[in-house]
Amino acid sequence: MSYFRITLHRSAIGLPERTRGALASLGLRRRSQTVFHPVHPQFAGMIMKVKELVRVEEVDRPLSKKEVKAERQPDAGFYVEKAAEGGRVGL
Amino acid sequence: MSRALLRSVLELRTPVTRLPPTFLLPIRARFFNQTSQIVEPTSTPESIVNAVQQSQQTSATSLPSSLTPPQQETNPLSPASLDPSITTLLPLLAAQPSHYITVHIHGRPYLVTAGDQLRLPFKMPGVVPGDILRLNRATTLGSRDFTLKGAPYVDERLFECRAVVLGTEAEPMRVMVKKKRRCRRKKSVFSKHKYTVLRISEVKVARVGEMEV
Repeated sequence: MSYFRITLHRSAIGLPERTRGALASLGLRRRSQTVFHPVHPQFAGMIMKVKELVRVEEVDRPLSKKEVKAERQPDAGFYVEKAAEGGRVGL
Repeated sequence: MSRALLRSVLELRTPVTRLPPTFLLPIRARFFNQTSQIVEPTSTPESIVNAVQQSQQTSATSLPSSLTPPQQETNPLSPASLDPSITTLLPLLAAQPSHYITVHIHGRPYLVTAGDQLRLPFKMPGVVPGDILRLNRATTLGSRDFTLKGAPYVDERLFECRAVVLGTEAEPMRVMVKKKRRCRRKKSVFSKHKYTVLRISEVKVARVGEMEV
């Protein structure tokens, strides 16, 4: 089963109530928020209503909030190879 | 007149006697120390684009997991899996002493060389003085005449970069005065941040034969 990955790209400020209602029913509150919905005509219609505001991708599985955040975060770039002798006392 | 002449003769002679022989002067020594005299001297230092694509890690690398070494890769690096330009030119880069490297820590670049002291703009949680960190994300790796550029990162098997945690450093106390207009009330807000200090202990370029290990 595939899913729509919908990201609100442009704000809905100043748009009609029905457009904002479509965003609200998709679960989009703020810009660059990402939600996942199953591929279904019901959601396709809502996306069509706000197609100028969102960016849509089709993915295989919905990601959790944590996974979406991890995509944005850069790699730490280091790891502790050898801990100091004397333990972790001075934390 | 004769005294001035004598002095100028002495001034001419003394530096000559103090200096090492001309073939050891830095400008001459460069010609036989560097390895890349085959190329045109006017050309810019060659850059090798690292064609080995780093697979984007999809799994979350949160900070606690960064404190533990990552899983060892199962497939060893064979020279065949590398770009041919790397296998030919990496020994030239490794042969030149004193390498620099642009390491990325939490996505921010730091251009360092061995022996540098690096004050990070944050306090690194979970480390204590004396810890040895292995820095494994770099975008450039270079010497005087060669630069290895990553796309976007240099393959982490091509270099070894280590840093020692020296401790934390504190900035001077910051005072910010909060004041509203037409009101005498003032409030001072104090803050004092701590920063982790590292020393880059090692920057080593791998040799193509050793990378198979």
